[in-house]
Amino acid sequence: MARPQDDQGRPDSAKEVTRDLASRIASAKRERAIEDNRASVKTSPEMSGMARGMRIGTEFIAAILVGAALGYFIDLGLGTRPWGLLILLLVGFAAGILNVTRLVTKMNEAAPPPPGSDLGPDVDEDDR
Amino acid sequence: MADPNKVDPIHQFAITDVFSTGDGGFAFTNSALFMVLTVGLIIIYMLGSTASRSVVPSRAQVVSELLYDFVANMVRGAAGSEGMKFFPFVFSLFMFVLVANMFGMVPFFFTVTSHIIITFALAMLVFVVVIGYGIYRNGFKFFKLFVPAGVPAYVLPIVVPIEIVSFISRPISHSVRLFANVLAGHITVKVFAGFIMSLGSLGVLGFLGASLPLLMTIAITALEFLVAALQAYVFAVLTAMYINDAIHPSH
Repeated sequence: MARPQDDQGRPDSAKEVTRDLASRIASAKRERAIEDNRASVKTSPEMSGMARGMRIGTEFIAAILVGAALGYFIDLGLGTRPWGLLILLLVGFAAGILNVTRLVTKMNEAAPPPPGSDLGPDVDEDDR
Repeated sequence: MADPNKVDPIHQFAITDVFSTGDGGFAFTNSALFMVLTVGLIIIYMLGSTASRSVVPSRAQVVSELLYDFVANMVRGAAGSEGMKFFPFVFSLFMFVLVANMFGMVPFFFTVTSHIIITFALAMLVFVVVIGYGIYRNGFKFFKLFVPAGVPAYVLPIVVPIEIVSFISRPISHSVRLFANVLAGHITVKVFAGFIMSLGSLGVLGFLGASLPLLMTIAITALEFLVAALQAYVFAVLTAMYINDAIHPSH
């Protein structure tokens, strides 16, 4: 039953199939390009929230630790008991803030907000 | 684990002697063994895959070339074409951290980068190179790194110590980041895997409950592979950025 129908329709359906295949290949290519873009965005390290948080955290803590350690050893060496630790702990804190602001500035430059996103009421249109 | 009923997520980081030459003598630990394995695998793979130098590369050669391109683009992007002088250095660090992290993902293998002394040694290596090259290339001007441009003279006594502490904190954060990521990830996997055992021993209901941490363990293991690769990349890209500071010491 099926065979005569098949013979009859072959040239037409073959052409149809080819055209169909071409359009399917084109659409698959488009989809893959979109997917590739998305994957590269997702796996790029600046986009990973965990990595970003870890970087900011360690930059901040490390500066405080270094400040405290420097102060402690200056105290040990010079015998100025509390002052070196106190002052350098504060300096370390400031250095931590500096590290974090520098890092976040760089991150913001690397990943500007998409156009048309709402940045809050006080942001000028020109600033975007 | 000495006691099979007790879950000890820290045990995997224990250092044991593979062989040693008596007390206080030279000891070849499992950490050293895996460092040797890491370096050995890198050397064998890179030399083996690029030995034929064919124009139409084999699969192994394609992977090597991709790794080369990846790191080369990263160094060029972060430190400019002058930074390519340091490409072998950055590439070695990247490959070492990547392969060591990936070795750590194999069950029963020791994770070299989960010990802070090793990541700290790598970070100090980077900083000795950065300071050494910075002074060699820029001479005294290298110390301009601590004196930001456009700052009035009367705040310099405050700003310079802050900048110095900020600079010294870099090797600490550089090493802690890698170490903490690897350590935390491996402990998390072990803890969730431990839940499977504890719950599974509670009978039928516990058996059903144990499937939840099992799913979690599988998911975290996948995440750990991502973290292993990502941290190697972050380590290398930051090394390139610090080298950029040595080449152009100004903010």
